[in-house]
Amino acid sequence: MLDEKTDPSAVPRPASPSPSRALIDAILDGDRKAIARFVELHADDVYRFVSHRLDRPEAVDDLVQEVFLASWKALPDFRGESELRTWLLGIARHKIGDHYGERLRKLIPANEADETDEDIAPRGLAVIPDFDERLDRQKLEARARQILSTLPDSYRAVLLWRYWDQRPLAEMAAISGNTEKAVERLLARARRLFRRKWNDG
Amino acid sequence: MGNPHDGEETFFERLAEATRPGVGAPSRLKSRVYSALVRRSEQARPLRSLTATEEAGHRLCVFEKFAQILPVGTALDSVNYCRFCHGRVLAEMMENAPISWKGCPYADFQRR
Repeated sequence: MLDEKTDPSAVPRPASPSPSRALIDAILDGDRKAIARFVELHADDVYRFVSHRLDRPEAVDDLVQEVFLASWKALPDFRGESELRTWLLGIARHKIGDHYGERLRKLIPANEADETDEDIAPRGLAVIPDFDERLDRQKLEARARQILSTLPDSYRAVLLWRYWDQRPLAEMAAISGNTEKAVERLLARARRLFRRKWNDG
Repeated sequence: MGNPHDGEETFFERLAEATRPGVGAPSRLKSRVYSALVRRSEQARPLRSLTATEEAGHRLCVFEKFAQILPVGTALDSVNYCRFCHGRVLAEMMENAPISWKGCPYADFQRR
């Protein structure tokens, strides 16, 4: 029987660096092929994440690039407490917050607070609007995007930020420098117009 | 009767969930991102030498290979040759760019 001194499996081995750690070390060492691997591994996820949430398709490429440049700058501080992918998407989420914060600062009109609650109360029964489950995702995406594209900029921005990016109202208000009430009112109007177009179509 | 807001919330939450896109990043965007990262990297410090890159198990492209065998010692070993390459320019501007040589990240972005 092997004792602890002779059994190789009992000898603690130094942990080998994770694939992510090895990749990061190579990137920080200026390995151009490792940089290519980093882009290849994560660009699709970051792109999907950003394009799903952003209100301006023409801004997606620039934002994705910003995410990677910000990640490169922050790589030396990456501690490996989360997956590299999760960490990157966290940076993307932060950038998306900056994007919408700036958009809504400009787009929410100054007289927003004058509106009464009656103006934004949902009308009709509390039913979920027509939602055809048989439509495949691609068609659903196309239809949602088509309707979103016809909405005023502020409506499109607030809907995508709230639901597609799943951002709580309080955060939206804090980041955009508006009151929660003002964001909620804008959101209510945006929902109402979207629903009308959805049901009409 | 429930709160009318709840119905609306549910609708939009479900719609957002159901419309998750499946399309990945265009190759020209990957190319642009890669170029930007390499530029940023070489501004911060010399790129890893071609010899060390090859020793790390990576394949060099035909131009890097050519540069490596030039009789100039290690002086040009950390140069970013992609900066002068027409393959990079094409890959940053178009999908399915007509580049196919081995060891080229831009060509690899097109293939995947």
